[in-house]
Order: sequence, then structure tokens, then C-alpha cells
Amino acid sequence: MKLTKCIHWVSGALLLLNTVACSGHHEESIELASEADLAGLTLSCSAGNYYEHKYSAREDVKVFACNTETDAVQAVRQGLADVFVSDEVVMSPEAMEQLGLKMALRGEESFDVAFALRKGNVQLLSRLNGFLSSAPLDEIVAHWLRDSPAVAMPDAVLDEETPLRCIVCMNLAPVCYLGEGGQWQGMDPDLLRRFAASLGRTVEIKFQDLGSAIIALETGQADIVSGNLFVTDERKAFVDFSDPYYACHPGYFVLDRDSKTHPGLRSRLIMNFVQEGRWKLLVGGLCETLKITLTAILLGTMLGIGLCAARRSRRQWLRSAAGIYGTVIQGVPTLVLLLIMFYVVFAGAGISASSVAIVTFALVFASSAGSIFDTAVSSVPKGQTEAGLSLGFTPLKTFTGIVLPQAVSKGLPLYSSECVALLKSTSIVGYIAIQDLTRASDLIRSRTFDALVPLLLITLVYFLLAWLIRRLLNLVLVK
Amino acid sequence: MISIKHLSKTFHNPDGSLLTVLKDVNCDISQGEVISIIGPSGTGKSTLLRALNMLEPPTGGEIWVDGENIMSKGYPLDKLRRKMGMVFQNFNLFEHMTVLDNVTYAPMALLHTPEKEAKKEALELLRKVGMAQKADVFPASLSGGQKQRVAIARSLAMHPAVILFDEPTSALDPTMVGEVLSVIRQLAKDGLTMLIVTHEMRFARDVSTRIFFMNEGVIYEDGSPEQIFEHPVHSATKAFVNRIHKLVFELDGDDFDFLEMHTDMSRFCIKYNVADKAELAHAVAEEMLFRHLRIFRPLTLRLTHTELSGETALDFMVEGLSASPLQADASTDSLRARVKDIIEEPTSRGFRIKVLL
Repeated sequence: MKLTKCIHWVSGALLLLNTVACSGHHEESIELASEADLAGLTLSCSAGNYYEHKYSAREDVKVFACNTETDAVQAVRQGLADVFVSDEVVMSPEAMEQLGLKMALRGEESFDVAFALRKGNVQLLSRLNGFLSSAPLDEIVAHWLRDSPAVAMPDAVLDEETPLRCIVCMNLAPVCYLGEGGQWQGMDPDLLRRFAASLGRTVEIKFQDLGSAIIALETGQADIVSGNLFVTDERKAFVDFSDPYYACHPGYFVLDRDSKTHPGLRSRLIMNFVQEGRWKLLVGGLCETLKITLTAILLGTMLGIGLCAARRSRRQWLRSAAGIYGTVIQGVPTLVLLLIMFYVVFAGAGISASSVAIVTFALVFASSAGSIFDTAVSSVPKGQTEAGLSLGFTPLKTFTGIVLPQAVSKGLPLYSSECVALLKSTSIVGYIAIQDLTRASDLIRSRTFDALVPLLLITLVYFLLAWLIRRLLNLVLVK
Repeated sequence: MISIKHLSKTFHNPDGSLLTVLKDVNCDISQGEVISIIGPSGTGKSTLLRALNMLEPPTGGEIWVDGENIMSKGYPLDKLRRKMGMVFQNFNLFEHMTVLDNVTYAPMALLHTPEKEAKKEALELLRKVGMAQKADVFPASLSGGQKQRVAIARSLAMHPAVILFDEPTSALDPTMVGEVLSVIRQLAKDGLTMLIVTHEMRFARDVSTRIFFMNEGVIYEDGSPEQIFEHPVHSATKAFVNRIHKLVFELDGDDFDFLEMHTDMSRFCIKYNVADKAELAHAVAEEMLFRHLRIFRPLTLRLTHTELSGETALDFMVEGLSASPLQADASTDSLRARVKDIIEEPTSRGFRIKVLL
């Protein structure tokens, strides 16, 4: 009871802060007639994109570069920036209304948007270009961007075994977004599905940031990357672009002072978890997190026992091998190791990202578990072994009956801390496109632009999982 | 029962050098013998004991137990150790078990004694060593002497044919040595075969049927307690058994930490098992230093204990004196009445008054 009350208080306080922070300092909505009017204003955008580059060069504009578009939007809502600039398509009319934003200016520039393919994948490229030239492109684009009627999907027989592996690196309606039941929807997924259907193949869509997506293309783990990709000469050095499928203008978004959208906690909960079945994303994420954590603990513990045996071995080379293993694993950041495993070691091995994550975390866990076991066994005095032997126990029975129980009670607190640490460190698997709990909340946040509620929820879930792991292991100790 | 032939043990030091602890040990041990192994530190007493149950495998020679060479390959050491109990200097009780479980664990697991029977027997053994009351506590809450008594009960629970005691009182607070020794004495009376590595000379003389004096990696002299302690053949044996323990104080003037001396003397008496003499030693020292010998400085005071005879004495030595400074008066008489004897004798450098406590 106490805990629930406490959580209530904390979440209430945070919501209040959030609301206060959202009220900006301008009374009137900002009006923009041209890009020249941006002088003296703070501009938020996603770091590393075209707009950051463009406006960093302008002395009279302050640029607030954020990690993601979602954060850049939040920056405007919280008064950290005046204008959010991105491609006009990133914000649907519904999204603007929900967030209390409006488009103040549509830029003059226009950019060609196309799909990216692996360099030299000529066959797929020509088929994609063939598809783009024959499909009713204008109608499809108009449907997604301007709410015109949907274009009927042509009938097709999907008789090819291998799916078309696509990566989208944007999660914003109407370009591409996670819709009802965790299905990718929007203009790009629609086009990709139609193209795949024309090949007789199904699509498999994953969500990754552009950097990883390009690596996945290069290593052959994906066929097509999309997500409102501008055709630039710089990018052409790394990928081949299809023919452009539409021209995109920049959009400048500001707070709409006339809008009175301050959703209450109840409607925020509904928006984040109920609408479009978003709770399913979280449940799926939870399962993925649990699967990776528990399997990695299991495998890592077995490997750790082996490592402990190697460290205590009489053979010098085994001891050194175990030592080197520990030094290497502990000297590399887990995230870096995960990326290396995914993009280098297991690239093209046909192993799922989840399995790569499990193997990686098992390797990391084994290293610390091994040294915990070693320390625990060493902490039992040699005299205990001698006493066991002198009573007539075999060396094995002496170890299992006398040394091990004492080692377990000494090592378990450290071991359970390590398990909890592993659980928390699995939150980085989103980097290799696994939808775990953290990634699920990211996806929801980028759809609802609500920074707080999804984060608060997964914080609570992680906390409960950690508590549960400790409790379970404590039961072992009592036994 | 046990026959040891040309046993040797060489350790390989981490720096590559060799250390030969046992050179050539030969002996035969029969059932019912109580053998104390005495000798200076580092002469292989403990190593010999640990070699007997193969905790420290020897590097050469033979050990025959009941007609079998236990050093032959594939000999079942666990079976051997069941009939050869061991009591360690550091007790080595199983810290994660209660006192009772410590005693019942091996019989239940190895002899398959039913739990009820094992508990009953364990309680009897604990009663024998005076620890039945503590059956349900964990070893951590016991004193050293209590732990060692439990360790002895644990060893007895396997009904061993022989028990090896590896310096059973060396890690104990002096006040607790007595309780452990009296338990071992009782076992000797019961006729148990025992090998005891010990530094307690009087205990060794009283309890043993046979003494091994070890020196330089061999059994230097092997004989009855009477032979070893009263009529040793070798001079090294004689020197070792007649060792005198001393505590020396030099008094230059009256600015002397008398209280510290008091404490040191108490500690000395406890260490050599003559705690009952401490009070008398204090009284005599005080009376002599501040009354009879008050004007004689510098002065050397020695508290001595001869372990074998059990004789404890205070020596007061004053340099450059040719006659006894003790006066024949009433206070001297009263002092004389309280101690065993007072010997006044000139030395090469002065005069000595020896007070036998």
C-alpha cells in the first residue's frame, strides 16, 4: 500500500513539473512569413540532419540539436526552443493538434526523397525503379499526406520464400509509424508492401537509426532502407538511391497559443497505452527483455562455472586463458561488444538479433559470474576442505557438501546484484533493432510525443523486475 | 597397525628451491598406543601427521596401514581417512552447520547411520566433551576451547581406529588449553589410539605411552616418557625437554612500570599453565622490591618456569654484592612461610636470591 501511495505522489509531482515546463514564455503564437523571420529565435531539430547543418551556419539563429525528432518536438513544447524544424511530413494534422503545435511556415526548398539500397544491388534497384514508374505514386502520396482516399492494393500471390528485409529509420506519422497492434504503417511501409507484392514477396520491417541501418545494408542484413531519406551526394557515396518518389519541403512548427490541449493523466494513460493497442508493444517488449535476461543469466552462469573452474585449474594455460577472457570482456563497453557481435561476428550468419543479444550478454555475464564464483570459493578457508577430506569424504563430496554451500551463501549477494545489472544493461538492445521494454517505450513516445508517462511506466517495470530477481535468489539462499 | 618406512617429504617452494621437511622417518605404531610427537618448530612434526592420512602426500617411502601400502596408486583414501580421524590446530568446524550437524554430518553421509541414531550418538559424544548444551548453536558463537572440543566429538563420531591431533591447543587462548587437554586425557584413558603433536611437555609426559622426539626431519629419539624426559639418550633431546622459560626485568631505579610487570607476569603464568602462581609471584615481587631489596639498584628480576618439573621461581640478582641482603627478621620469616623455599647464593658477578613459588 505504502509503495503505491509513494508512486502516486512521485508521478503526480513529475506531471506537475512537466505541465509547468510546457507553458512557454511567449504569449502570442510566433508568426513566420519567410525564413528570414527566424532571426533571434531558437530552432530545435534532430542532430546531424540537414537543418542542423544549414542553420548552424546562420549567425542570427540559435540551434538546439536533439537526439531524436521526438526530443526536438518536446524542446518546443517545454519552451527550450521556439521553432521545431523538420520535413513537413513528419507531423500529421492530428499530431499537431494533440501536441498543440501548428505549422508556421512551409519552406521554399524541396528535396527528393527516395529509397536506399546496397551499393551495386543493380537487380533490385532496377525492379524498384520499374515499380515506382508504374505505380500510382501521386495517389498513394496524396492519400498519406493529404488525406485523399486510399488506393486499392493490387492482388498478388506472395509465393517467394524470402521476405523483403526493410529498415525504416523514422517513427513519425504519416511517413512511417507503428500503428494498430504494432504494425508498421504510413507512406513508406505502404510503398514497400506494394513493391514486395509486385515481387511476390512479403515484407519484414524493422526500426533502426539511420547509422545502423546503413551498416545493415552494407553487411547484407537488410535490402532496403527508407524513412524520408533525402537524396544527397554525400549519401550516394555509401548507398544507391532509387528514383525519387516525392519531393519534400521543410516545415517550421511552433506552439499554437490558441490551442488548449492539456491532456489529463487519464487521457494521457489512454493515449500512451490503450490507443492503437500500444500496451501490446509494452507486453511484447517485456517478454523480449525477460527472454534475453533470463536466457543470458542461465547461459552465462554455466559458462561462468566453466570460467571459475579454469581460473582455479592446475594448468597454467587454462588460467591465463580465463584471465585474458575476463580482461577483454571487461575492457569493452557492453554496447560496443553488442554492435561488434551483431555487425561483425554474426553478420550474415542468419542468426536473429535476439540470439546475438543473448550470446553477447551471456559472454559478459559469464565473465563477472566467473570471478564472483572464484572469489566465493576462495573465501572458504582451506581448512574446511581438509576437515571434509579427513572425515573420509571424497574430494568431490567435500566440495559439493561442505565448500559449495558456504561459497553460495558468500557469493549470492554479489551474484544477484550482477543479475540485476544485467537486466538493466539489456536496455541497450534497441541498438540492434530488438524491441525490448525500453525500445517499446521509445516507440510509444515517438508516436505520442509524451516523454513522461511511458518512461515512468517502464521505470516501474524495471524496478519490479529487479526486486523480483533479488527475491527469487534470496529464496535460494534461505534454502 | 601402522608402519612407516623411509618416509620423506620435499616441498617445492614457489621460487623453485626445495625444502626437505621429512628426511627418513621410520616407526611402527600399535593399537592402543598414545604417542606424543615433540620437538622444535619446523622439524616436520605436523607434516608427518598430515602425511599419515595423505593430506600431504609424501614424496618417498612407504606407509602401511593394516597390511596395505596406502601410498600405492588407486588406494581408496576416503576409506582410509574414515578410520583415521584428525583434529586440527584451527578446529575447522563447518561454519554453516550447527554443532550437532557438524557431528552427525559425516556418519549420516558416509556410514549411512539413520538420522535418529546419529543424533543420539552425537549428543552422547557432545556430553562426553561437555558441549551437549551447545548442540544447536553455530560454531561462530563458541570459544576456541569449545570449538576444539566439538571438533574432537566430530572426529569420534566416525569411530576411527586412530585419531591424529595436530597441535590441538596451539591456537587456543592459554586459559582454554586445560579444558581441551583434559578431554584428550579422558580419551587416552578409554584406550583410544592417538598421535598427538604438542608443545605441552607435562601433558605429553602424563598422557603418553610413547614419545617421538623429532629433530631435523627424523625421529631423533623414540621411547617411553620416562626415557625421553628423565634419561634421554641424545643431548639434543635433553636440551629440548629441559628448556626453561624466562621473563626478565631490569630495574635501574624506582621509576619502573610495576603495573606492566604485573600484567606480563600474569600472562606468563597463564601461558605455562601455572595461573595459580601469579598472585603469589606478584606479592613476593612487590614485597622484595619495595621492602627487602629497596635500596639495591640496579637489580635484575627473572620469573622462570621449568616446564618438565613444573617448577616456578623468582630470581632477584644484584651485582657486586657478596652477602645476602635479606635480613633475618619477622617479615622475612613470614615471606619464607608463604613460599616453597628461598635459596640465597653468591654468583660470579654478585648475589642471587631464588624464591621457589
